[in-house]
Amino acid sequence: MKRLSILLAVMGAAASPTYAAEQGERIEIKGELIDTWCYFSGVMGGPDAVVGSAHHTCALWCSAGGIPVGLLGEDGKVYMVLKIDGDDTSASGDTLLSLASHQIEADGLYYERDGLNYIVVENVVSDNGITYRNHEDYGPVPGFALPEPKE
Amino acid sequence: MRFAVAFMASLLPVLAHAHDGVTHGSDAEAAAHQAEAAVANLPLGAPTELPFDLGGQFELVDHTGSARSEADPDGHSQLLFFGYANCPSICAVAMPMMAELTDALLTDGFKVRPVMVTIDPERDTVVNMGPELEKLHEDFVGLTGSDDQLAHVYDLFQISREKVFDDPEYGAVYAHGSHIYLLDDQGKVLTLIPPILGVERAQKIVANYLDSDIAQ
Repeated sequence: MKRLSILLAVMGAAASPTYAAEQGERIEIKGELIDTWCYFSGVMGGPDAVVGSAHHTCALWCSAGGIPVGLLGEDGKVYMVLKIDGDDTSASGDTLLSLASHQIEADGLYYERDGLNYIVVENVVSDNGITYRNHEDYGPVPGFALPEPKE
Repeated sequence: MRFAVAFMASLLPVLAHAHDGVTHGSDAEAAAHQAEAAVANLPLGAPTELPFDLGGQFELVDHTGSARSEADPDGHSQLLFFGYANCPSICAVAMPMMAELTDALLTDGFKVRPVMVTIDPERDTVVNMGPELEKLHEDFVGLTGSDDQLAHVYDLFQISREKVFDDPEYGAVYAHGSHIYLLDDQGKVLTLIPPILGVERAQKIVANYLDSDIAQ
């Protein structure tokens, strides 16, 4: 039930019966850049385990593999990242890899579309690195995300 | 490579249980199914023109060797994704979802064409794309082209294609686009669909557009 509640909260854009203005709305959001597949699917664990340092390695794999990156804001919503400062093309470029699991403050344009939240990050105002050190509680999530040692 | 194999194995329960509504092997599976069902019922709002500048005219070659543009030759709407036909990693999320979505939309009376533009023309060739894509769906179209042709399409959709590492077994691995694009039969981008959505939710989004004036 907890995950369902969180999911409903992060999909909060859909609570509005009609769409907001079509032009992007400038916003500043603080939050963590997350792996949206593992966060929403629940396949790797609960939402507390698939963020932060515990999920960093998997987040890198997913981002490189074409999974959309999201910004989990302090408001509890997930903003699907369409583009980010320093990445001259859309999400999943090198910039997003370098920021995976980082807590950032983003300035950008916000769009509501099809009940989802999207953001074009025009400026990473601050990058605080990985601040949620949950690997101490969960270990690596999932364990198999760790690279194999060289033989 | 261990990650990719284990990751794909981990997807199976979610995909298999995505619509059963009955039995789940774990709390996580049950939660995922419950969450998907909840999201599937959230209101979409009226379709609107895409506020981003995406898409345009292009010329590529399909998996049969025929020229293909942004328009579907049979007049179908299209689901477009940038990825690998021969993917050893986690494209396993988006492309099977596109295949399942194609079938789901057909039950609504919408014939859509799943299309993949390769981000690795060295790995995906005219010769080898077809058999791999057919494993996913018989209507899947694979597109490739010259470096210039592909670069043009990547620019149109603002697709990243950066090599992130070399897999010792499979070679170069590229970061690539993340979203599925819904195109009308002429190639106009109607909206985008994050592949993390459940098929049921994606089905509603697509149907919402194909029923609207925007898609006419």
